[in-house]
Amino acid sequence: MFEGLEALIRQRTPVSLEAELRCMPGEVLALTGPSGSGKTSLLRAVAGLSRTDGMITCGGERWRDSDAGIFLPVRRRRVGFVFQDYALFPHLSAIANVAIAIDGGTRGERVRRAGELLERMNLAGLEDRRPAQLSGGQKQRVAVARALARDPHVLLLDEPFSAVDRATRERLYVELATLRRELRMPVVLVTHDLDEAAMLSDRMTLLHRGRTIQTGTAEELRTRPITSEVAGLVGLRNVYAARVAAHRDGATWVEWNGVTLQARPQAAFPAGASVRIAVPPAFVVMHRRDRPSRGEHENPLAGVVKDALALGENTAVRFSTPGGEVIRFSIPTHVARRNQVAAGAAASVSFLADGIHLMPS
Amino acid sequence: MRTLLAALLAALLAAFFAATPARGAEPPVVAAASDLRFAVEEVAAGFERERGSRVRVTLGSSGNFRHQIAAGAPFEIFMSADEEYVAALHKEGRTLDGGVLYAIGRIVLFAPHGSAVTPDADMASLAAAVREGRVDRIAIANPEHAPYGRAAREALQRRGLWEALKGRLVLGENVSQAAQFASSGGAQAGLFAYSLALSPAVAQRGRYVLLPDTLHAPLRQRMALLAGAGPIAREFYAYLQQPAARAIFRRHGFALPGE
Amino acid sequence: MDGPALLLSLRLAAWTLVVLLPLAIVVSRWLAWSRFRGKAWVEGALALPLVLPPTVLGYYLLVSFGAGSPLGDGYRALTGHPLAFSFEGLVLASVIFNIPFAVQPAQRAFESIPADVRHAAACCGLGRLETFVRIELPLAWPGIVSAIVLTFAHTLGEFGVVLMVGGSIPGETRTVAISIYDRVQAMDSAGAGMMSLVLLVITLAAMGVVHATARKPHV
Repeated sequence: MFEGLEALIRQRTPVSLEAELRCMPGEVLALTGPSGSGKTSLLRAVAGLSRTDGMITCGGERWRDSDAGIFLPVRRRRVGFVFQDYALFPHLSAIANVAIAIDGGTRGERVRRAGELLERMNLAGLEDRRPAQLSGGQKQRVAVARALARDPHVLLLDEPFSAVDRATRERLYVELATLRRELRMPVVLVTHDLDEAAMLSDRMTLLHRGRTIQTGTAEELRTRPITSEVAGLVGLRNVYAARVAAHRDGATWVEWNGVTLQARPQAAFPAGASVRIAVPPAFVVMHRRDRPSRGEHENPLAGVVKDALALGENTAVRFSTPGGEVIRFSIPTHVARRNQVAAGAAASVSFLADGIHLMPS
Repeated sequence: MRTLLAALLAALLAAFFAATPARGAEPPVVAAASDLRFAVEEVAAGFERERGSRVRVTLGSSGNFRHQIAAGAPFEIFMSADEEYVAALHKEGRTLDGGVLYAIGRIVLFAPHGSAVTPDADMASLAAAVREGRVDRIAIANPEHAPYGRAAREALQRRGLWEALKGRLVLGENVSQAAQFASSGGAQAGLFAYSLALSPAVAQRGRYVLLPDTLHAPLRQRMALLAGAGPIAREFYAYLQQPAARAIFRRHGFALPGE
Repeated sequence: MDGPALLLSLRLAAWTLVVLLPLAIVVSRWLAWSRFRGKAWVEGALALPLVLPPTVLGYYLLVSFGAGSPLGDGYRALTGHPLAFSFEGLVLASVIFNIPFAVQPAQRAFESIPADVRHAAACCGLGRLETFVRIELPLAWPGIVSAIVLTFAHTLGEFGVVLMVGGSIPGETRTVAISIYDRVQAMDSAGAGMMSLVLLVITLAAMGVVHATARKPHV
């Protein structure tokens, strides 16, 4: 039996869900997708806060099996849940908020253990404060301490960084990244922020309209989306219609915009098939005037700079081919300045063959 | 704040645990027409002094009592201002017998000090004041269910004042409320029981005249023991017919049957 | 000053609370957190005593308590005395006409508890009863105090219904409000004034408690 958390959920109402989720002990899985995609509904189903059709197992225990009529109530599931607004008990002090979740032991033992958890969350000295007397970041840490207090079999975090300011968020990222090294249970983090997901998770599952559509590392999702829909969801915008020309010389060749491009071998798409290709910006190389760089021989394309927008250290460039296709990428601002990359300037770029990713049309 | 709450809680608990007296040990309840307010209280005081037993008196309109008794109110004696109600209850088996006539009531025309009305037996001053528009309000008991209200209506009809006054009547829920309306100056005149006009609280607040008993059907006041009456109630019922009690009724302005 | 009447009113208020409060908490909690067809009608029906003339309510209660009604006859068969014109009948009537005064503040209080706070309690492993005692009740407490105080004060002050179903029996159903009315009719303004003052002071204190607890305690 699978040791971690596994959920296979299928339901029509009230929210349509068709989801598959797997998370190993010690792993952080980010559940991501646009707002309204069902992330929170899925998380609540795992916790048992809503009753869904399907199967949920955790640590070898069946929490939900709609076919067998099994539904383990929330309080018997041993979940640690960090709510979006933390949902601390407003009438209890920080330490009481944590102690209430600890079971077993004497009152003194529970309080001692709660104190240890608060200390671990860097909240020593704030034990007697009520939630209203804590800052957003402090509240979040109390909520995490409370979630860990039950020795949960799974830790569920619902947009835990959305209610704090940016500076606090950066600090909390570091804390969570540190904390997760000590955690031995599966951790599911719901977030709509892809960068956050990429930074904090081992793998992420992308959810769209209630359906889980791709699971993988952040890198995989960003460079190898299985469909153009996923490409759109992860913000990959260099997606074009193309046709598979041939598979030869250890590569796949595609025809695009009047040129033939060499791509990473992807034999699943037969020659002649219409496909979409995605070219992540990281695989677009701009040819420099001062010195030639690696990969210039790969898929060179001439055109003009449509516009260049300096965004601090990097400059976002939109490059237009003679056929009118727009390619987006970014280069260091100092490079852009030195090479006089500006709207209307003639330039040439290369698509690195490794980065050209084929998707069904 | 906490002490206030604690005090409230303590008061609550005290009230809560205040002993509920055992049923049956409580003195019997006498439902008496409002015109008896002062008379019956005096009789009850005399009864307690002489016989050492207490009764509880509740006052109201006879018509309301008649309905409450029909609905099962736990009264033991009903002293009605109208014998019809006793007869009706007797027919329904709510009384032990047909009861006895204990008094005959009279009504007065009362005007508070400063009123435009001067009380006189043929109500000429009232008629004039009404004609000249100097009377806004005149108090009587509600004729629908209060016998004294019916007597007042009859008297006004006999004098031909009813139609003119109809829109200016304030109706007391019972005759003692009518007396209170008139004596407090809220109304410029009132027609109510002689027994109430004789009480100092009313008498000192205005002038009144006893109206001739030819103006209305006699207010034959009958009382009866009700089904389930206990020994104290029976004793009080007998006491009410003794000379001492009769003397009190006479002093309070009632005519006595057989006199 | 009619001491027995005041004591009776206090006893009536206490019994009303003992009977009504647990019911009101259960009902208001259910209304606060559930959605169902016809909920508005249930809420409307429970609010009726607020807007219905006391005499109308009194009339219906008298009819349903009195001799000849199943309730009245059943009660008589069980206890040997009538429900109307008795202290028990008064308690029952008082419970009914106080429903909105107890249910509404308590319902508002339960509604103000965020759903996630209750979910968090379940995630902390608390059972239903534990959640109710340790989380819901403390959070709804200001509303429940309001319910207690309003019911208490309203019971002391209610007149029409009490007169109709109680019949003003001294020591049994003559409450302080009826006693005041009686004193006025007896033209005993000193007695009426004294008792009115007592009632005014008690009610004022009660409202003070309501407003003092209405301030949010956790902020």
